Amino acid sequence: MGVLIEAGELQRLCRASALLRDDAASAATIAEVARAVRMSPFHFTRRFAAVFGTTPHQARIAARLERAQAMLARGASVTEVCFASGWASLGSFSGLFTRRIGEPPSSYRRRAMVQVAWAPPFAGCLGAMAYLPASSFREA
Amino acid sequence: MKIKLTSLMVDDQARALAFYTDVLGFTKKHNLPVGEHRWITVVSPDGHADVELSLEPNVNPAAKTFQAAMLAQGIPLAAFEVGDLAAEHARLTARGVAFTRAPTAMGPVVIAIFADTCGNLIQLYQPT
Repeated sequence: MGVLIEAGELQRLCRASALLRDDAASAATIAEVARAVRMSPFHFTRRFAAVFGTTPHQARIAARLERAQAMLARGASVTEVCFASGWASLGSFSGLFTRRIGEPPSSYRRRAMVQVAWAPPFAGCLGAMAYLPASSFREA
Repeated sequence: MKIKLTSLMVDDQARALAFYTDVLGFTKKHNLPVGEHRWITVVSPDGHADVELSLEPNVNPAAKTFQAAMLAQGIPLAAFEVGDLAAEHARLTARGVAFTRAPTAMGPVVIAIFADTCGNLIQLYQPT
Protein backbone atom coordinates (compact mmCIF):
# COMPACT_ATOMS: atom_id res chain seq x y z
CA MET A 1 0.00 0.00 0.00
CA GLY A 2 1.15 3.54 -0.69
CA VAL A 3 1.62 6.19 1.93
CA LEU A 4 0.70 9.87 2.25
CA ILE A 5 3.64 11.95 3.45
CA GLU A 6 2.79 15.25 5.16
CA ALA A 7 5.02 18.30 4.56
CA GLY A 8 6.71 18.15 7.96
CA GLU A 9 7.46 14.47 7.59
CA LEU A 10 8.87 15.01 4.08
CA GLN A 11 11.27 17.59 5.51
CA ARG A 12 12.38 15.19 8.25
CA LEU A 13 12.96 12.42 5.69
CA CYS A 14 14.95 14.82 3.49
CA ARG A 15 17.03 15.86 6.51
CA ALA A 16 17.71 12.19 7.25
CA SER A 17 18.68 11.62 3.61
CA ALA A 18 21.16 14.52 3.87
CA LEU A 19 22.57 13.11 7.15
CA LEU A 20 23.03 9.66 5.62
CA ARG A 21 24.72 11.17 2.58
CA ASP A 22 26.86 13.94 4.13
CA ASP A 23 27.97 11.85 7.08
CA ALA A 24 28.14 8.56 5.21
CA ALA A 25 31.24 7.38 7.11
CA SER A 26 29.41 7.83 10.42
CA ALA A 27 29.00 4.84 12.71
CA ALA A 28 25.57 6.03 13.88
CA THR A 29 22.94 3.30 13.64
CA ILE A 30 19.87 3.76 11.48
CA ALA A 31 17.82 3.84 14.69
CA GLU A 32 19.94 6.79 15.87
CA VAL A 33 19.38 8.59 12.54
CA ALA A 34 15.62 7.98 12.91
CA ARG A 35 15.67 9.45 16.44
CA ALA A 36 17.69 12.44 15.18
CA VAL A 37 14.76 13.32 12.90
CA ARG A 38 12.17 12.40 15.54
CA MET A 39 10.75 9.29 13.92
CA SER A 40 10.42 5.74 15.21
CA PRO A 41 12.94 3.42 13.51
CA PHE A 42 10.28 1.18 11.94
CA HIS A 43 8.18 4.07 10.65
CA PHE A 44 11.31 5.87 9.46
CA THR A 45 12.65 2.93 7.41
CA ARG A 46 9.28 2.31 5.75
CA ARG A 47 8.57 5.96 4.88
CA PHE A 48 12.16 6.59 3.73
CA ALA A 49 11.98 3.61 1.37
CA ALA A 50 8.64 4.80 -0.03
CA VAL A 51 10.07 8.24 -0.89
CA PHE A 52 13.64 7.40 -1.87
CA GLY A 53 13.19 3.91 -3.34
CA THR A 54 15.84 2.39 -1.07
CA THR A 55 16.26 1.71 2.64
CA PRO A 56 18.22 4.19 4.82
CA HIS A 57 20.95 1.57 5.26
CA GLN A 58 21.32 1.04 1.49
CA ALA A 59 21.23 4.80 0.88
CA ARG A 60 24.17 5.22 3.25
CA ILE A 61 26.09 2.40 1.53
CA ALA A 62 25.44 3.98 -1.88
CA ALA A 63 26.74 7.33 -0.56
CA ARG A 64 29.86 5.63 0.85
CA LEU A 65 30.53 3.93 -2.48
CA GLU A 66 30.13 7.20 -4.42
CA ARG A 67 32.56 8.90 -2.04
CA ALA A 68 34.96 5.97 -2.41
CA GLN A 69 34.79 6.18 -6.21
CA ALA A 70 35.55 9.92 -6.12
CA MET A 71 38.52 9.43 -3.76
CA LEU A 72 39.93 6.57 -5.86
CA ALA A 73 39.61 8.67 -9.03
CA ARG A 74 41.69 11.37 -7.35
CA GLY A 75 44.43 8.84 -6.58
CA ALA A 76 43.84 7.96 -2.92
CA SER A 77 44.99 4.47 -1.99
CA VAL A 78 42.44 1.69 -1.56
CA THR A 79 43.35 1.38 2.14
CA GLU A 80 42.95 5.10 2.76
CA VAL A 81 39.61 5.14 0.96
CA CYS A 82 38.34 2.08 2.85
CA PHE A 83 38.84 3.53 6.31
CA ALA A 84 37.90 7.12 5.37
CA SER A 85 34.59 5.87 3.96
CA GLY A 86 33.60 4.09 7.16
CA TRP A 87 34.34 0.43 6.44
CA ALA A 88 35.83 -1.65 9.23
CA SER A 89 37.92 -3.92 7.01
CA LEU A 90 39.62 -3.92 3.63
CA GLY A 91 38.02 -7.28 2.82
CA SER A 92 34.45 -6.13 3.39
CA PHE A 93 35.08 -2.88 1.45
CA SER A 94 36.70 -4.62 -1.53
CA GLY A 95 34.03 -7.31 -1.66
CA LEU A 96 31.13 -4.87 -1.57
CA PHE A 97 32.80 -2.46 -4.02
CA THR A 98 33.44 -5.25 -6.53
CA ARG A 99 29.87 -6.58 -6.26
CA ARG A 100 28.23 -3.17 -6.66
CA ILE A 101 30.57 -1.37 -9.06
CA GLY A 102 31.57 -4.43 -11.11
CA GLU A 103 35.33 -4.31 -10.64
CA PRO A 104 37.77 -4.30 -7.68
CA PRO A 105 38.66 -0.88 -6.18
CA SER A 106 42.29 -1.18 -7.34
CA SER A 107 41.33 -1.67 -10.97
CA TYR A 108 38.61 1.03 -10.77
CA ARG A 109 41.25 3.41 -9.39
CA ARG A 110 43.63 2.73 -12.29
CA ARG A 111 40.90 3.25 -14.88
CA ALA A 112 39.28 6.26 -13.19
CA MET A 113 42.56 8.15 -12.77
CA VAL A 114 43.21 7.88 -16.51
CA GLN A 115 39.66 8.97 -17.39
CA VAL A 116 39.82 12.04 -15.16
CA ALA A 117 42.95 13.06 -17.03
CA TRP A 118 41.56 12.97 -20.57
CA ALA A 119 37.76 12.67 -20.52
CA PRO A 120 35.76 15.70 -21.62
CA PRO A 121 33.69 17.21 -18.80
CA PHE A 122 30.30 15.55 -18.53
CA ALA A 123 27.98 16.64 -15.79
CA GLY A 124 24.91 14.62 -16.66
CA CYS A 125 23.56 17.33 -18.90
CA LEU A 126 21.97 17.13 -22.31
CA GLY A 127 25.48 17.31 -23.83
CA ALA A 128 25.53 13.51 -23.55
CA MET A 129 23.61 13.33 -26.80
CA ALA A 130 26.89 14.18 -28.57
CA TYR A 131 28.03 10.60 -27.85
CA LEU A 132 25.00 8.83 -29.31
CA PRO A 133 24.74 7.08 -32.69
CA ALA A 134 22.98 9.10 -35.41
CA SER A 135 20.23 6.48 -35.59
CA SER A 136 18.95 7.67 -32.20
CA PHE A 137 17.65 10.81 -33.83
CA ARG A 138 16.06 9.42 -36.97
CA GLU A 139 12.27 9.29 -37.14
CA ALA A 140 11.01 5.77 -36.40
CA MET B 1 11.91 24.42 -33.41
CA LYS B 2 10.12 21.42 -31.88
CA ILE B 3 9.68 20.30 -28.28
CA LYS B 4 10.60 16.64 -28.78
CA LEU B 5 12.81 16.05 -25.77
CA THR B 6 12.49 17.07 -22.17
CA SER B 7 14.54 15.83 -19.25
CA LEU B 8 14.50 15.04 -15.54
CA MET B 9 17.55 14.52 -13.32
CA VAL B 10 17.42 11.22 -11.45
CA ASP B 11 19.73 10.02 -8.71
CA ASP B 12 19.75 6.40 -9.94
CA GLN B 13 19.21 5.68 -13.64
CA ALA B 14 18.45 1.96 -13.22
CA ARG B 15 15.86 2.63 -10.51
CA ALA B 16 14.41 5.47 -12.58
CA LEU B 17 13.97 3.29 -15.69
CA ALA B 18 12.23 0.61 -13.61
CA PHE B 19 9.95 3.12 -11.87
CA TYR B 20 9.03 5.11 -14.98
CA THR B 21 8.25 1.95 -17.00
CA ASP B 22 7.03 -0.73 -14.54
CA VAL B 23 5.16 1.63 -12.18
CA LEU B 24 4.24 4.73 -14.20
CA GLY B 25 3.65 2.82 -17.45
CA PHE B 26 5.93 4.73 -19.85
CA THR B 27 7.77 2.76 -22.55
CA LYS B 28 11.56 2.69 -22.83
CA LYS B 29 12.75 4.22 -26.12
CA HIS B 30 16.54 4.47 -25.68
CA ASN B 31 18.92 2.93 -23.15
CA LEU B 32 22.45 3.49 -24.51
CA PRO B 33 25.80 3.55 -22.70
CA VAL B 34 27.49 6.96 -22.48
CA GLY B 35 30.73 6.72 -20.49
CA GLU B 36 29.90 5.60 -16.94
CA HIS B 37 26.25 6.55 -17.40
CA ARG B 38 23.43 5.87 -19.83
CA TRP B 39 21.22 7.84 -22.21
CA ILE B 40 17.78 6.69 -21.19
CA THR B 41 14.57 8.04 -22.68
CA VAL B 42 10.96 6.97 -22.27
CA VAL B 43 7.81 7.77 -24.23
CA SER B 44 4.16 7.66 -23.27
CA PRO B 45 1.99 4.98 -24.90
CA ASP B 46 -0.92 7.41 -24.39
CA GLY B 47 0.77 10.42 -25.92
CA HIS B 48 2.70 11.46 -29.02
CA ALA B 49 5.17 8.69 -29.93
CA ASP B 50 8.00 11.10 -30.73
CA VAL B 51 7.93 13.15 -27.51
CA GLU B 52 10.64 11.75 -25.23
CA LEU B 53 11.50 12.19 -21.57
CA SER B 54 15.21 11.77 -20.81
CA LEU B 55 16.17 10.40 -17.37
CA GLU B 56 19.52 12.11 -16.78
CA PRO B 57 22.18 11.02 -14.28
CA ASN B 58 22.39 13.65 -11.53
CA VAL B 59 26.16 13.94 -11.10
CA ASN B 60 26.52 17.72 -10.97
CA PRO B 61 26.84 18.83 -7.30
CA ALA B 62 24.84 22.01 -8.01
CA ALA B 63 22.06 19.94 -9.59
CA LYS B 64 22.02 17.58 -6.59
CA THR B 65 21.65 20.58 -4.27
CA PHE B 66 18.81 21.97 -6.40
CA GLN B 67 17.02 18.61 -6.60
CA ALA B 68 17.28 18.02 -2.84
CA ALA B 69 15.99 21.53 -2.09
CA MET B 70 12.97 21.16 -4.37
CA LEU B 71 12.14 17.79 -2.81
CA ALA B 72 12.38 19.12 0.75
CA GLN B 73 10.14 22.06 -0.18
CA GLY B 74 7.57 19.76 -1.75
CA ILE B 75 7.98 21.27 -5.23
CA PRO B 76 7.37 18.90 -8.17
CA LEU B 77 9.83 19.05 -11.06
CA ALA B 78 7.53 17.64 -13.76
CA ALA B 79 3.80 17.25 -14.32
CA PHE B 80 2.01 14.57 -16.34
CA GLU B 81 -1.59 14.85 -17.53
CA VAL B 82 -3.96 11.95 -16.80
CA GLY B 83 -7.52 11.24 -17.88
CA ASP B 84 -8.71 9.86 -14.53
CA LEU B 85 -6.69 11.06 -11.55
CA ALA B 86 -8.73 9.12 -8.99
CA ALA B 87 -8.03 5.85 -10.83
CA GLU B 88 -4.31 6.66 -11.25
CA HIS B 89 -4.01 7.62 -7.58
CA ALA B 90 -5.66 4.34 -6.55
CA ARG B 91 -3.50 2.31 -8.92
CA LEU B 92 -0.23 3.94 -7.82
CA THR B 93 -1.16 3.79 -4.13
CA ALA B 94 -1.77 0.05 -4.49
CA ARG B 95 1.74 -0.19 -6.01
CA GLY B 96 3.22 1.41 -2.88
CA VAL B 97 3.92 4.86 -4.34
CA ALA B 98 4.32 7.64 -1.73
CA PHE B 99 2.12 10.67 -2.32
CA THR B 100 2.85 14.03 -0.71
CA ARG B 101 -0.51 15.43 -1.85
CA ALA B 102 -3.65 13.37 -2.31
CA PRO B 103 -5.97 14.37 -5.20
CA THR B 104 -6.92 18.01 -4.60
CA ALA B 105 -9.07 20.33 -6.68
CA MET B 106 -7.13 23.44 -7.68
CA GLY B 107 -8.90 25.79 -10.07
CA PRO B 108 -9.31 24.16 -13.51
CA VAL B 109 -7.50 20.96 -12.52
CA VAL B 110 -7.37 18.24 -9.91
CA ILE B 111 -3.78 17.50 -8.89
CA ALA B 112 -1.82 14.96 -6.86
CA ILE B 113 1.91 14.80 -6.12
CA PHE B 114 4.09 11.72 -5.56
CA ALA B 115 7.77 10.80 -5.10
CA ASP B 116 9.45 9.08 -8.06
CA THR B 117 11.99 7.27 -5.80
CA CYS B 118 14.81 9.01 -7.73
CA GLY B 119 14.90 12.38 -5.96
CA ASN B 120 11.93 14.10 -7.58
CA LEU B 121 8.34 14.91 -6.77
CA ILE B 122 6.05 14.53 -9.79
CA GLN B 123 2.66 16.18 -10.20
CA LEU B 124 -0.25 14.43 -11.88
CA TYR B 125 -3.08 16.63 -13.12
CA GLN B 126 -6.47 16.06 -14.65
CA PRO B 127 -8.26 18.96 -16.35
CA THR B 128 -11.83 19.12 -15.04
